[in-house]
Amino acid sequence: MHQHLAKDLMVPISEYATVEIGTPLIEAIQALEVAQGMYTESKYQHRAVLVLDKSGNVVGKITQIRALKAIEPDFDFLHDIEDIKKFKFSEDYLVQLRTVYREKSKIINTETLTAAANKKVEEFMQDHSPGEYIDENGSIDQAIHKIVSGKHLSLLVTNGDRITGILRVADVFTAVFGELTALKL
Amino acid sequence: MNELIKLYQRIVQRVNINLRELKFDISPYAQHLIAIDQMKNFYAFYGITMDHPLDLHFEHSALAGSYFLGKCKVSNSILYKSDIRGDELKRKGHVFQSNGFSITLGKDELIDIHDSALIKTLVHNYSHDLETPDRFFIKDTLSMDYANIHGAPSDGCFLGPFATVDLTTMRDCAIGSYSYIQAVEISHLNIDPGTIWLHSPGKFNFLYKYPKDQLEEYITLSSDKVPLGKLIDFIDDREEKFQRVFDFVNLEEMDIVPKTSSLDRYAVILPNFKIAENVLISQRAYIENSSLGKGANAQENCFIVNSTLHGYNVSAHGSKILETDLQKGVFTGFNSFVLGKPQARINVGEESIIMPHTIIDCDKPLNIPANHIVWGLIKNSKDLESNSLSLEQLAAHRGPLTKGRMHFEGSGAALVKAMKDRIHHILEVNGAFYDNGENNGHAQRNQKLSLNTIQPFQFGESMGMYPNIRILP
Repeated sequence: MHQHLAKDLMVPISEYATVEIGTPLIEAIQALEVAQGMYTESKYQHRAVLVLDKSGNVVGKITQIRALKAIEPDFDFLHDIEDIKKFKFSEDYLVQLRTVYREKSKIINTETLTAAANKKVEEFMQDHSPGEYIDENGSIDQAIHKIVSGKHLSLLVTNGDRITGILRVADVFTAVFGELTALKL
Repeated sequence: MNELIKLYQRIVQRVNINLRELKFDISPYAQHLIAIDQMKNFYAFYGITMDHPLDLHFEHSALAGSYFLGKCKVSNSILYKSDIRGDELKRKGHVFQSNGFSITLGKDELIDIHDSALIKTLVHNYSHDLETPDRFFIKDTLSMDYANIHGAPSDGCFLGPFATVDLTTMRDCAIGSYSYIQAVEISHLNIDPGTIWLHSPGKFNFLYKYPKDQLEEYITLSSDKVPLGKLIDFIDDREEKFQRVFDFVNLEEMDIVPKTSSLDRYAVILPNFKIAENVLISQRAYIENSSLGKGANAQENCFIVNSTLHGYNVSAHGSKILETDLQKGVFTGFNSFVLGKPQARINVGEESIIMPHTIIDCDKPLNIPANHIVWGLIKNSKDLESNSLSLEQLAAHRGPLTKGRMHFEGSGAALVKAMKDRIHHILEVNGAFYDNGENNGHAQRNQKLSLNTIQPFQFGESMGMYPNIRILP
């Protein structure tokens, strides 16, 4: 069985879509489209944009969910629902309440899209958590454990203090199930 | 430094330590809460009765103007014009049943207040905490004017003015002004002002939050955290009338009160009034130009003015009823403010329930139909429509329900049953169903109550503090 390391499976950071702090959402999405067009190594496309500080260090990322969240206006009812959460109402009740409130307020319109397009990436990017890093020489076992326990869609691969690549769920999945298929159980 | 000031500072620090996770600093609230130099001017008093075990223990505390009944221990605390009513505490041998457990008490229950400051606060009922069935504890807690700690052990909490915590153990919580919480157990919660929350796990969940700007008309805090608003004005306008009953140690008994009813000597009652059989009027209640029908009650800090209660009406702690007619069996919950006007009277139909902390303030006459439940802020018939349900409708409901600002989930029948059972229980313990020597309650027992006063130090470092005292039978 092949002993994969993180560096064998990662996408090098040079091939990833990156933007600097201060970039508006619309430019971040355009950068993602460009990166997707150039990336042909895997059938799984990039789905996130990395955010770099002025020195080129990765300080956050924008996933598709984060981008959608940026489009959603800051409705008062979202604060109400956050508040109601602490009073032990069921998730079903909160989902139903969101639906009711949403029906009263249209999310996709020219105004909300324009406002979202101009939001700066740092306003809605996702910060990294300590469990989201793996060393270049980390094993695939370590990677699986971190992905599963932390419910991450990707890990940041490091060499010392430097982030050198992204290890995506799709690439780990392909490697593991490639081995499984080869066993012909 | 005066001992009282040192004690107060220590209490404030202890509460702040408990609330540090919420980043809630009580210091500004505490700053103008007590007039330290006035504390020596008020005597404390306690009741002696054949019906309740007597064991009062005061240690390193100030008790200005406060009342005690039953088994209470107060240590390292400041109580100002508070009522500590231990007449519903559990007794030795009592089997306390909760959450499927049956716990037999090995000793009488005790109200144990320590390292706390309670201002014009009512402490009543008994501990509903399974872990401490024989100790109703209140520790490291600061409560502001007209708060109710009702069957609610408290550890490290702050209660704003007119806040009520009912049948709930609370730890490290800040309860905003005019909030009512009944939720079995809460911890590390910062509750906004005007939150009405009743949660019975697995049965029902009810939540209403007052619109902030509209609640401020009735109760708010000034920039230096002094309570303001219509509720405070209403009480202040009548405060002077209490002077006489507290200034005189002995007052003549009123012979117009039926033998089966009880009028506390620290209540204010002004003409014209009519009191029927089995009526209970508690200390600090205020009755003016009103009629209380058979089995009605007016609990602590209740105000009933120009109103008629037709019978078997519970007017829970702190409720205020003005220019209103309550038909038979109407329940008015804690701190509710039913504010009719001479030209805009309010009529509440039979067996209807005014939920705790409801404000009804109308400029036109308002009729609440019989067998309805109402909540929140009602200023006209449109509000009544969105803030009420018939008890029949509610009892038939199961599942989620959003009505106006009210959120509900669970069994409506369970909520109706819980309210109805409780109303019946309150009437029962208050003696509303007394008949020919049977079913006696507070209304009958309180007639055999005598009162003693105790005084604070008037001079020196301990000025305003009380000597350590143990009072036993």
